Amino acid sequence: MPSQTAKEMTAEVRQSFAQALEERVANGTVQLPLLPRVATQVLSLVNDPNSDAAKFAALIHQDQALAAHVLRIANSPAYMPKVPIVSLQHAVSMLGINLLSEIAFTVSLKAGTFQAPGFEQDLEVMWWHAVASGAYAKEVAKLKRHNLESAYICGLLHAIGKPIVLNICVKLGKELGVTLDQGSMKSLVEDHHVQVGLLVGEKWALPAQVREAIAHYQQYDQAQTFKQEVMMATVADRFASFILGLEDMTVDVLYDHPAYADLNLYPKDLAALVSAQDMVKKLVNSMSV
Amino acid sequence: MSTAKYDIVVVGSGPAGQKAAVMAAKAGKRVAVVEREQGLGGGCVYRGTIPSKTLRETALSLDRIKRGAQAFECRLKEGIEVGILMHRLAEVVEAHSRYMTAQLKRNHIAFLHGCCKFVSDHVLELTTVDGLTQALQADVIVLAAGSRPKAPHNVPVDHEHILDSDSILSMIYLPKSLAILGGGVIACEYASIFSLLGVAVTLIDLSDRPLRFMDEEIVQRFLHAFIDHGGRYIGQAHIESVRWDGVTSVVTTLAGGDIIKAEKMLAALGRQPNIDDLDVEMAGLSSNERGFITVDRNGQTSVPHIYVVGDMAGPPSLASAAMEQGRRAVAHALGTPVESADHYIPMGIYTIPEIASVGLDEPKARARFRNVIVGRAAFDEVAKAQIAGTNGGLLKLVAGPDGRQILGVQVVGEHATELVHLAELVLLNGNPVDTFVESIFNFPTYAEAYRIAALDIVKQRSKIEPLAKAS
Repeated sequence: MPSQTAKEMTAEVRQSFAQALEERVANGTVQLPLLPRVATQVLSLVNDPNSDAAKFAALIHQDQALAAHVLRIANSPAYMPKVPIVSLQHAVSMLGINLLSEIAFTVSLKAGTFQAPGFEQDLEVMWWHAVASGAYAKEVAKLKRHNLESAYICGLLHAIGKPIVLNICVKLGKELGVTLDQGSMKSLVEDHHVQVGLLVGEKWALPAQVREAIAHYQQYDQAQTFKQEVMMATVADRFASFILGLEDMTVDVLYDHPAYADLNLYPKDLAALVSAQDMVKKLVNSMSV
Repeated sequence: MSTAKYDIVVVGSGPAGQKAAVMAAKAGKRVAVVEREQGLGGGCVYRGTIPSKTLRETALSLDRIKRGAQAFECRLKEGIEVGILMHRLAEVVEAHSRYMTAQLKRNHIAFLHGCCKFVSDHVLELTTVDGLTQALQADVIVLAAGSRPKAPHNVPVDHEHILDSDSILSMIYLPKSLAILGGGVIACEYASIFSLLGVAVTLIDLSDRPLRFMDEEIVQRFLHAFIDHGGRYIGQAHIESVRWDGVTSVVTTLAGGDIIKAEKMLAALGRQPNIDDLDVEMAGLSSNERGFITVDRNGQTSVPHIYVVGDMAGPPSLASAAMEQGRRAVAHALGTPVESADHYIPMGIYTIPEIASVGLDEPKARARFRNVIVGRAAFDEVAKAQIAGTNGGLLKLVAGPDGRQILGVQVVGEHATELVHLAELVLLNGNPVDTFVESIFNFPTYAEAYRIAALDIVKQRSKIEPLAKAS
C-alpha cells in the first residue's frame, strides 16, 4: 500500500486509523512492551530483605550501558556527591540502594519503553515530563507528610501510556501505510494513553496505587482508592508541565486547578512547589539518558 | 479585605475547638470555627486518634481470629498493606465528619476553611486554600490548632524509612521490623499495635520504663504483655545517631556502641504546638521555652480574651482533656461557673492492653497521705477475663489511710478505658470503698474487678482497725 503523507491525510483516514488503533487496544492485539528485565530485577531486589549492595552492583554491571548511565547520573549535580563516585559499590554506599535503584529503574524504563522512530523529540519531552512528575510527586508527599514510598513511582508512571501509544501508532502507521502528522499523533496519544497505560500496568503487575494514578490522574475525583496518591500525581503532572514550559502554562493557569484545594495545598505550599523547580530541573537533566 | 465580626472565633476544630465552639454557641454567642484542614475534627480525626484506633481495632480483631483459630494455623499473609488493615477508616472518618458538621449546623456555628494569623489581638486574617483573604474580628479568641510531631535534630525523618506519627499511617506495607523512638503514649500505642500485627518492634527510650507518668505496677503489666507479643524494650538508651543505611535498615547507634537495626523507624519523641503560622506576637503573645504559650488552669493567656486549649497547651495531649479544656475556657470567658472536674479527668491510653487512670495513683497518694491502702484485682480472678482469654490485667483501687475514701483507680487490661468511668463517677460523688462491696454487679463482667479490689481493701482495713481503736 502506498504511504500517504500528512498532506494527503484526510479526516476520513485519521478516523479509520483511530478506529484500527481502538480495535486493537480493545481486543488486546497491540504489542505492549515488557517491563525492561533490569527494571524487573531492580524492583525484586529492592523488595528482597536479603539483598545487599554487592548483589545490586552485580545486577547493574550486567548491563554496561546502564552501569555507565547510573554512574553518570550518580555523579550529576542533582545528587551532589561529596567526592566523585568511581564504582557502583561506591555509589551504593554514597547514595543508598533505594536511590540507586530508583535511578536504575528510571534509566532502564526509558531504554525499554520510550521508543518510537521519527518522534524522538516528542519522546524526549514525555520522558522529561515523567521524571519531573516523579520528582514533584515526592515533593508533594513531603508537604503532605505522606509516606514517600509510592509517590515517585506514581508520578513517574502515571502517563506511561503516552510513549507506548506513540510507539504503537508508529508501527500501525507502517502497517497501514499511513504517516501521521504531529497533530493527529498528539490527539491519538491523548485519547488512548490511559487505556493503554492500564493494560501496561496490568501486564507489568504495577502496584495498585500506580494503576489508580494512571486511570484517574486527569479526573482524580473518580478514584475509588488511593485518592491521595492520585491527587499527588495530578498535582505533580501539572507542575511538571509548568516547569517544562509545556501547554503554554502561566502561573495563573498553573494555580487554577481544584486538585490543590482538594489536597488542601495552600498558596504558600504551591509557592514552595514552584521554588523546587530548579532542583527538579537538575534531576530531569541528570536523567536525560 | 472584608471583616466578619463574631463574639468568639475558635481556631481549630479538633476535640478542644469543637467543644469550645459548641459551648459558646449554646450560650447564644455568634461563633466561627476556623479549620486549616478540609474536614472537621483536626489531627484527631485524620492523623491521630481515629486512624490509630481503627488500626488498633483491626489488630485486635486479627488477634482474636488467630487465637480462636489456632487449630487452623491462621496467619496474616506476608506483605499485607497497611491501608487494607484500615479498611473501615474512610467510613469512620466520614461518619465522624458528618456528625460534627451536623452539630455545628445545629448550633449555627460558622465553619471557615482556611489558615489564619493574628493581625492584632482582636483580629485574625483568614487565608482560604484558594488564596482569598478575609479579616475575622472577635471579642474572644480560642486557639485550639493542635500539634504536630516534633522533629528531633538527630533523627532525619524522611517519611520513607524514618517516619513520624503522621506518615506512619500512610506506610504501604507492614515492615518485618520496626524501631520506635520514645516512651510516651503515641510510642507505646503504636508499639503494641504493630507488635500484635506480627512486626518485630523495638521500643527505645531514654527512661528506664515507658509511660513514666503512670503507676509503675500498671506499666509493668503492659510491658509484660508487649514483650509476650514479641516486643522488645530498651530503656535508658541515649541515642547517638540514627541513619538509613541505604540498603535494608534504619541503624540506630546508642551511646555505648549498641546498634539496633530495623526495616523502618517511627520517631515518636513528643509533639510541638502549631503556633508558627499564627503570628501570635501581633496579639501580644509569645511562646515559652518549651514552645507553648503559657496559660492558667482555664486556658487563659496573658492577653485575657485569648485562650489556648488542647494539644496547643501542652501535655497530656488527650482528646478527653482537650474537650474539657475547650469547654472550661469558654465558660471562663463568658463568666459561667464551671464545676471543678479537672481533678477527675480520666486518662485513657489505647495500648494493647489498654491503660486507664483517674484520680491519684499509688505513688501520688502515698506522697500526699503517707499511708494508703491499695486494693488489687488481678484479671486472673475475673471470670469475664478468663472467658475472653484476656486475663493479664490488673485494677488498682487506691484508698486513703482509713481504707474508706477512694483516691483513685488505675487499670491495665481489656476495656480499661471504659472501666475507669465507673471510678470517675464514684470519685465525683465522693462514694466510699464500700459502695463497690454493697453494689450488685452483673456477672460475668470486667466491672466485677471493682468488687474484688474493694474486698481486698476491706480485708486490709479489718487488720488495721483494731490497732487504731487500741491506740
